[in-house]
Amino acid sequence: MDLCVFGVDDGYAEAIIRGLRASFLTEAQYQQMKNCASIPELKSFLEETDYQNCLQADNPQIPTSILRQRLKKKLADEFEYIEAQSTGTLTKYLFHLRCRFMIDNVVNMIEGLKNKIDIEILLSNIDPLGWFPEIKNIKVLEGDDYSSLYRDVLIDTPIGVYFMKFLEESIENLHENRTLNDIQNLFREMKPEYIRTSLKKMWLEDFYLFCEQELMPTSQEALLELLKFEADFKTVQVIYNSIGNRDLNTAAKIITTRKQLCPTIGNLYPDCEKLYLQAMTLDALREAVKGCDNYRDLLKDAPDPLKREEFNVQTKTLDDIMYDDECRRYALAFDGQGSYGVFYSYLKLKEQEIRNIIWLAEMISRKLAKNHPGWKKIIIPFSHLGK
Amino acid sequence: MSFFRSKKMKYYSLVIPRESAWVVMNELARLGQLHFVDYDPQLPMINRPFANYVKRCDDSIFKLSSLELLLKEFKKNLNYCENVDTLLDYFQYIQKNRMKPGHTYFDELEQEIELKKLQIQEQSTNLQNLLERVNIITEQQMVLEKAQDILGQSAFQQQKPHNPNDYQQLKFGQLIGVIDKEEEVRFKRIIFRVTKGNAWVQIMDLNNEEVHNSMRKSFHLNQDKTQQPRCLYVIVYPGMEEQSSLKMKLMKVCDSFNRQRIEYPNSLDQLQRRMGELNQQLQEAKNLIEMTKHQLDQSLDELVQQKQGCNCSYFEYLRLYILREKYLYVNLNYLTMRGSIFTGYFWLPDGLEQIVEEKLRNAMRNNLDNYPTGQIQEMKPQYTPPTYFNLNEVTMPFQEIVNTYGIPRYQEVNPGLFTIITFPFLFGVMFADIGHGFMLFLCGIYIILWKGYLSKQQDSIFNVMIPYRYLLILMGFFAFYNGFIYNDYLSISLNLFGSCYSPEKEEWKREQKDCVYPFGIDPVWQASSSSLNFMNSYKMKLSVILGVIHMLFGILMKGVNNLYFKNYLDFFCEFIPQLLFMVCTFGWMDFIIIVKWLNIYPNNAAPSIIETMINQVLKPFDKPNTPIFPNEPELQLQITQILTLIAIICIPWMLLPKPFILGSKNNKHKVSMSDSQYQPLVMEKQVSDSDEDRNQQFQNDLKNADNLKSITEQSHEEHDSGEIWVHQMIETIEFVLGGISNTASYLRLWALSLAHGQLAEVFYDMCLAGKLDTGGILGGLLAGYFYLVFAFLTFGVLMTMDVMECFLHALRLHWVEFQNKFYKADGYLFVGYSYKKVLNEHLKQPNLK
Repeated sequence: MDLCVFGVDDGYAEAIIRGLRASFLTEAQYQQMKNCASIPELKSFLEETDYQNCLQADNPQIPTSILRQRLKKKLADEFEYIEAQSTGTLTKYLFHLRCRFMIDNVVNMIEGLKNKIDIEILLSNIDPLGWFPEIKNIKVLEGDDYSSLYRDVLIDTPIGVYFMKFLEESIENLHENRTLNDIQNLFREMKPEYIRTSLKKMWLEDFYLFCEQELMPTSQEALLELLKFEADFKTVQVIYNSIGNRDLNTAAKIITTRKQLCPTIGNLYPDCEKLYLQAMTLDALREAVKGCDNYRDLLKDAPDPLKREEFNVQTKTLDDIMYDDECRRYALAFDGQGSYGVFYSYLKLKEQEIRNIIWLAEMISRKLAKNHPGWKKIIIPFSHLGK
Repeated sequence: MSFFRSKKMKYYSLVIPRESAWVVMNELARLGQLHFVDYDPQLPMINRPFANYVKRCDDSIFKLSSLELLLKEFKKNLNYCENVDTLLDYFQYIQKNRMKPGHTYFDELEQEIELKKLQIQEQSTNLQNLLERVNIITEQQMVLEKAQDILGQSAFQQQKPHNPNDYQQLKFGQLIGVIDKEEEVRFKRIIFRVTKGNAWVQIMDLNNEEVHNSMRKSFHLNQDKTQQPRCLYVIVYPGMEEQSSLKMKLMKVCDSFNRQRIEYPNSLDQLQRRMGELNQQLQEAKNLIEMTKHQLDQSLDELVQQKQGCNCSYFEYLRLYILREKYLYVNLNYLTMRGSIFTGYFWLPDGLEQIVEEKLRNAMRNNLDNYPTGQIQEMKPQYTPPTYFNLNEVTMPFQEIVNTYGIPRYQEVNPGLFTIITFPFLFGVMFADIGHGFMLFLCGIYIILWKGYLSKQQDSIFNVMIPYRYLLILMGFFAFYNGFIYNDYLSISLNLFGSCYSPEKEEWKREQKDCVYPFGIDPVWQASSSSLNFMNSYKMKLSVILGVIHMLFGILMKGVNNLYFKNYLDFFCEFIPQLLFMVCTFGWMDFIIIVKWLNIYPNNAAPSIIETMINQVLKPFDKPNTPIFPNEPELQLQITQILTLIAIICIPWMLLPKPFILGSKNNKHKVSMSDSQYQPLVMEKQVSDSDEDRNQQFQNDLKNADNLKSITEQSHEEHDSGEIWVHQMIETIEFVLGGISNTASYLRLWALSLAHGQLAEVFYDMCLAGKLDTGGILGGLLAGYFYLVFAFLTFGVLMTMDVMECFLHALRLHWVEFQNKFYKADGYLFVGYSYKKVLNEHLKQPNLK
């Protein structure tokens, strides 16, 4: 039924996305990019592709950070255009997508302020997709006083909800008779990365809930599938990274941290929860997720996190494997008609494309030999479909 | 006969040394008659020898367009080039006087553009900065003034010593500054949260954008739309100490809004002094702006001015030159570079070889260093040549109609030639009306006569129709003519020559036995009750006759093509049976239609044409009951038997012999190909394996040979016998069935003219006829009103929609019914290498003016 009426409100936006699908770089173009000898050459190559307009005004010797900013700006402009063309549920949905970038921006700002980086630099580096007016006010942050940051600034912002939940949870986890000092200590020790992961977890759960409750069945079907996978991906990542992590010295601490960071959605939750929370080695993790064929295969090739020091560029890390699988899924989502999945996929795949270009730009600017294994480390969107 | 068939083309190779490449290409581009062939279309542009130059040209154009934006902003009007030829001559003249190699002029201009851009951009950013500075100063002024209003005098009196324990005398500190208007609410909220409600916030609009724009106006600058409205805030909070934590926090918050915060002076004196300083600064800044503006104007004016002898602004001159240069390099990229020699291939219309050689010699003479300028040599073409017609303004729209369907194959009969008359004629048959046709005709005449005036009216609908004016006038003329044939003037028949009938006691009486209305339909038919029946039958027969003639003509053109290309197989096995089939079936039908018109059949025994045609096939041995030829059924039977027999024989004739003959040819061909095609390649390989350089060349040759082979394979693919059979079967079926359905399709000539006539009649009956009888003033008003309705309906429905409809149907009759008889339409257009073309294309861009 929803397929009949999908086009009424969202047909135009979907059509634009499908048109934008043509702007992805092809494998042949990646090959040509790899052959570029210098950054100016790469730039002039990109000017022949869809990225023409956003690069034309720049100096040929463009630094990678500016290049990234330009590419992101283009993506943000496209996204904004689609947002402006959307109505009703789609607008809400697209806004949810933006929240992820907002979280990233906020955490980056906090991290930067903690490291005493100049606010102007921080502001110029924020992802345009996750821009919101309050972001510049994060400057008010004093030391580690996250709760007053929330109270003063973030409370009005879309991600305020997540931040509040995060603060509540972290304070609740302290022992009963906590003092103000305890709370301060807690925040002082807290790493921005930890904040990021837990905020994103909350966002993911919230987004999942939104999709489940508000979207039409076709969109739900496509999106819940993708989100479940993403949640599992996060779970596995958290477990994997916490194995042998020196900061988490006691088993109890590991488990509480894991419990806090693992999303409570996805295929692994709640069936395998007990198992993976206890997993202290890679094998145990493999054992924990063996219920899902797919994940078992993915983890089969992952290197052992206990030997982290031995990793080098050649190692295909868990992240690489996961990204690869993600890309395939997102590309497949483009096959579905009349679902919101394409918007999500488009964003994800374009991000991947930007990552690829930046990676190649780095490789080129470092003048690495063409047989260096790093050249192969890009995942090309839609390349899985041909096979 | 250059329009009947496309021009003969010859294929040449061009060899030029690197040093004189620019000169030669420059000369050839002025000729504009060469079609360069890309030596390797697969090679991306970026890997070609002159990609760098093309890129530089693009960069320069980009810089120029950023300058153009500035020119527009400062309201400088450019003089656009009106005549490309003079400009090109001027380029040539400049080159001649420079006494330096021609291609270096681009370097000079490039540098000049770069310099100009830097200079002008610097001046314009200076101006922006100064304006920004004035902005800040005026903002400060306004803030101070308004803050004074808000805080009043008492703010200064706080400084008096007081008793710190006295609650009544609690001190207050204040923060003053500017924020964007849209952040007003957020600002209030955040301050409330930070101070937990313990601060008094007052916000007031500054109206800074009005002040700003009025200042810009005083310098004759455009209004700045991007200027954000701002407001002033005043926060009063408890506590005066310099270092209180509340103050620190508030300052941090205020600063995070990224606008200026202003120190409020401590006393009235200081305040006034401050105001004085600001006034002075403002005056200085304004003077600076004046100067910068003046300089900027000067540099921009240099771009707008015309140089002596040049017919456009210097800016346009630069842009057109760069465009021209880019075009040259793009075409030069179609050539291969081997060492210091360029080799390229091009198509040239037959007979221009002398001129090209002359140009080359000319180039050598003009060349300062007297390098040899290369030579051309005729080659055996590898591909089909491009199709080239020398079009003029009359033939252009008609060729356009044909090209929209498909570009004619090289040298095949060009349907465009016949379209010039048949298209407007068939349109006229459908749109037949003296009045409407004449209006269309007048419209065409108007555009032709006022062409010069209309071409300047950018937003006139007639402007768009200028290229199609001759098409329009012919369409109008034929509609007018056919209107006379049908005797239809806005649905009324005109009695121009005196009808042969006169009314007599409710009957129409023919005046003389042999009286015939001299031209068109006798107007008396309109008065008769069977008028519609008569007109339908007449129009229907007429359209079938026209259609069959049109199609027969198409088939004849197929014969002409076959003879011209010496394709005798097709001539005898397709053209002749097709022609016979058509003549024996529908040709015969046309014939009996005319015979029936000429004869008078006694006691209503008029034969039915359709019945006769059907019986001819279904009952081939029965004598017709109502013969077409009165009293001669025997003769008619014999004729129909012979014709039917011929038509039936034609079908296998079309189908069978051609595939058989091709099949047997193909067998022979296979044997010969395996000998000759592959052996030389192997030999070449042995020879050229020796050294590296040659090896490269060999690879290229191999690729070329592969291409060639694939081309030959493609053309031979058809010769696969199974496919030939299928193909021939489809062709035959298509022709035989098409003969019937296409003839039926021509009935649209009748249908549309009927629709047109009926519509016109309805409008006339409903709006005019009968409405004019009411007398008096009311009658006059009513008549006026109904006339208006009638006029608008006639214009809206008949003169626009119906014209469009008839146009489309005429288009279809040409594309499908006529052209499928002979037209292959698989050619490609000749693209002349010409400066004039590329510059004109640029000048035609609508956004330019």
